Amino acid sequence: MKILDLAIKDLSQILRDKKVLLFLVAMPIVFTLFMGFAYNAGESGDENADTRLGLAYVDPQPDSRLSQMLFARLEESDALKVIRLEQAEALDSLRRGEVVGVLVIPSGFGEQDAGGTFRQLTLIAESNSSDGQSLYQLLRVPISQLMSAVEIASISADVQGSPAEFAPALELAWAKWDETSRLERVRLERATARVEESWFGDNPYNQASPGILVQFAIMSLVTSAQILVNERKTRTMQRLMTTAMRPWEMVAGHLLAMFGLVFLQTALLVVFAQFVLGVNYLNEPLGTLLVSVAMCLWVAAMGLLIGVLAKSDDQVVLFSLVSMFLFSALGGTWFPLEASGGAFAAIGRLMPSAWAMTGYQNILIRGLDLSAAWLPTTILLAYAFGFFLLALWRFRKMEL
Amino acid sequence: MKIIDIALNDLLRSFRSAFTIGMAVVAPLMLTGLIYFAFGGLSGGDVSMNAMKVGVVNADALPADSPLDAPIGDNIRAMFFDESVESWIEARDYPDEAAARAAVNAQEIGVAVIVPADLSASLLSDEIDAQVTIISDPTLTIAPAVVQDMVTMMLDGVSGGGIAIQTIMERQQANGIQPDPAQIPGWVTRYTDWYREFQRDLFHRPEKAALVLTAPSAGETESADPIQQMMGLTMAGQMIFFAFFTGAYAMMSILREDEEGTLARLFTTPTERANILAGKFLAVVLTVTLQGIVLMTAGHYAFGIAWGQPASVALAALGQVLAASGLGVLLISFVKTSKQGGPVLGGGLTALGMLGGLFTANIPGGMPAAFQMLANFTPQGWVLKGWKLSLAGAVPADLLLPFAVALALGVAMFAFGAVMFKKRYS
Repeated sequence: MKILDLAIKDLSQILRDKKVLLFLVAMPIVFTLFMGFAYNAGESGDENADTRLGLAYVDPQPDSRLSQMLFARLEESDALKVIRLEQAEALDSLRRGEVVGVLVIPSGFGEQDAGGTFRQLTLIAESNSSDGQSLYQLLRVPISQLMSAVEIASISADVQGSPAEFAPALELAWAKWDETSRLERVRLERATARVEESWFGDNPYNQASPGILVQFAIMSLVTSAQILVNERKTRTMQRLMTTAMRPWEMVAGHLLAMFGLVFLQTALLVVFAQFVLGVNYLNEPLGTLLVSVAMCLWVAAMGLLIGVLAKSDDQVVLFSLVSMFLFSALGGTWFPLEASGGAFAAIGRLMPSAWAMTGYQNILIRGLDLSAAWLPTTILLAYAFGFFLLALWRFRKMEL
Repeated sequence: MKIIDIALNDLLRSFRSAFTIGMAVVAPLMLTGLIYFAFGGLSGGDVSMNAMKVGVVNADALPADSPLDAPIGDNIRAMFFDESVESWIEARDYPDEAAARAAVNAQEIGVAVIVPADLSASLLSDEIDAQVTIISDPTLTIAPAVVQDMVTMMLDGVSGGGIAIQTIMERQQANGIQPDPAQIPGWVTRYTDWYREFQRDLFHRPEKAALVLTAPSAGETESADPIQQMMGLTMAGQMIFFAFFTGAYAMMSILREDEEGTLARLFTTPTERANILAGKFLAVVLTVTLQGIVLMTAGHYAFGIAWGQPASVALAALGQVLAASGLGVLLISFVKTSKQGGPVLGGGLTALGMLGGLFTANIPGGMPAAFQMLANFTPQGWVLKGWKLSLAGAVPADLLLPFAVALALGVAMFAFGAVMFKKRYS
C-alpha cells in the first residue's frame, strides 16, 4: 500500500506540470509522423504520378549503333524516363533535381564495334542516395548485356575470320539478350507468417513507430528520474527514511511510478499508431502488451538507476539523453541494424532496445504470433532485473 | 572593458558546467560518433559488413544427355560458400524449401535461395519456366537485394554462354558453314574468361569497369567517398542543432542570475544596464563560436570531415554563430523563468531543427519539396544550406545567399530580443 501511495505521489507530482505532456506525448507523435513521412518520402502519393527515375542521356555520337541499342533498351524500361541532352544542360537538370542522374557516353563508344579500345560509361548521380544507387543497378544489367553482345560478336567475327561478320552477329546476340531480359528468372518473396489482408508489413510507420516508442520511453526519464534527485535535494528522502517505510519499498514505489509513466506514454503512442497511422499493433494484442510491459520495466529500472546516480537535474537530463542516444542508435531505432557495420550490428543486437524492436517487428512486419514475443520479453525482463539490482545496490550505498 | 569582463565571466561559468560541455560538445560528437561507428567502417572498400545469413536449397539436377558436368544450381550454391565472400556471407544448406522457410521465420537466416530441380534443364532447353526463388525476412532490404543481384548475375553469365553458342552457330549456318561441335568448348572458354574479367572489373576495379558511378560534386573524373559525404552532413546537422541549443542555453544564464539575485546585485553597481546586457550577449556569441571551432576541429580529426574551402567554411560558420546567437537571444527574451526554458529549448529548437532539415540531411533522395520549402522559413535551414555548399567544395561566392539570409535573420532576431530584454530590465 505504501508503495502504491509513493507511486501515486510521484505520478501526481510529475503530471501536475502540463509541460510534461509536451515531452511525453506531443513530441513523440510529431517525431513519429515526421520520421514516417521521411521514410515514406517519394514512395507514397498519387498512384498516377510518374515515379520513373529521370535519366539524362549524353552522347556526342548519337548515330552509333551501340548507342542506339542502349538508348532503345533504356527507353523501354518501365523504371526509367530517359531524355537526350547536351552535357551542360544535363548537369543543370541534375542540379535542379529534374533528373536523378546523367549517363555520359564517351566519345568513341560506338567504335567498339570495329574492335576499338575500351570506353568507360559514366553515371553522374548522388552515390549516397537510394535513387542514385537504384539508377546504377538499373543501368548495370543492360550495359553488361550490351558488352556481352559485343564480345559474342567479336568471337563470331574471329571464328569466321571476317570483320564484316561483327555487325550481324552483334544484332543477333543483342536480339537474343533482348528476349532473355524479358524473362523473370529470379523471384523475390517476403516471408510473412500472415498473408491475409490484415498484414500491414509495408506501412512506412512500422519502423518509425516502434523506434520512436523506444526512444521517447527513455527520454521520458528526463522528467521521472528528476523526482529522486529532488527528493534528495529537498531532503524529503531523508524524512521518508525516518518513517516505517523500508528502503526496498521506497525503491519499488519510485520504480512503479516510472513504470506507470512510461507505460502510459507507450500505451498512448500504440493507440495513436494503431488508429491513426495504421500500424497494426493489435495484430497480436497480447504480444504487444507483453513486449511493451517488459520494455517499460527495463526503461523504468534504468530511470531508477539514473535517479540514484545523478546529483542534479542537469545530470538527470544529461544521463537520460546519453542513454537515449546510445540505446536508440545501437538498438536500431533510428536505422535498421542491417544497414550498419558488422561490429556495430553485433553490439547493437545485444541491446535491450534492439530486443524491444525485434519484439515489435515480429508482430508488425513479420506477422508472427504470440510465441514470437516470448524471447524478446524474457530478455527485456532480464535487463530490467539487472538494472533494478544495480539501482538497489547504489541506493543502499547512498543510504550509508 | 566591463562588457568583456561580464562576457568572460559567463563564458567561464558555461565551460565549468559539465552540462554545457555535455550538450555543446559531447552530445554532437557522440551522435556523430555513433553514426561513424555504424557506417564509417564501410568506407574505403573495407567490407567489415554486417554478415548476411543466407540459406541455400539446391534441388537442381542434371537432365539426361546434358552437356554440362554439374548442375547450374551447384554454381549458385558454390557462389554463397565461396572463400571470397565468407567474410560477409554466412551460408548454410537446407534440405528443402519448408526447412528454409522455417529458418527465415525463426530468424536463423535472413535470406533463403531456393534453386528448383529443373533449373539446369530449363536453361539448357531454352524454356525458361523454372525460377530461382529468394525468400527474405521482411524487415531486411539490403541482403535480399544483394542476393538477388548475385543470382541474376550468375544466371546472366549462364545465359550469356548459351547466347554465345547459339549466335555463333546461327551466324555460321547463315553463311553456309556447318558448325563444328568440337569448337564449342573453345568459344565457351573464351566467353567465360571475358565474362569473369568483366564482372571483376565491374565490382572490384572501378577504373576498368564498363560503368562507373561518380558524384556530381566531384566532377566527372574523381569519385567522392559517399561515407565521408554522409559523415559531413551528419556532423553539420548535429553541429547546427547543438549550436542553436547552446546559444539559447547560454542566454538562459541571464534568467538564472535573475532568479539567484546576482543580476539585481549587478544592476546596483555603476555599470550601465546596456553594458551588462551587451556582456551577456557577447558571452553567447563567444560560446557558440568556441563550440563551433571545437566541433569542426574534432569532426575533421576524428571523422576525417573535409569542411570545404577555408573562406567558405568561415562564411558558413559565421552564419551559424550569428543565427544561433540571434535565435537564442530572441527565444529567451520571451521566457520568464529558467524552468520555462526547458520546453522552449527542448520542444521549440527540436521542432525548428526538424523543419530546417537537420535530422534528415542524409535521407536518401532527400525530403519532399514541401519540406524543403519549409526549411527556407527557419534559420537552421539556411545555415544547413551554407554547410551543404561548403562541404560540397563550393567557392565563397556560392555561399553568399545562405550567409546573407542567416546574417539578416540573426541580426533581426538579436535586435528584437535585445529590445525585449532592455524593456524587461529597464
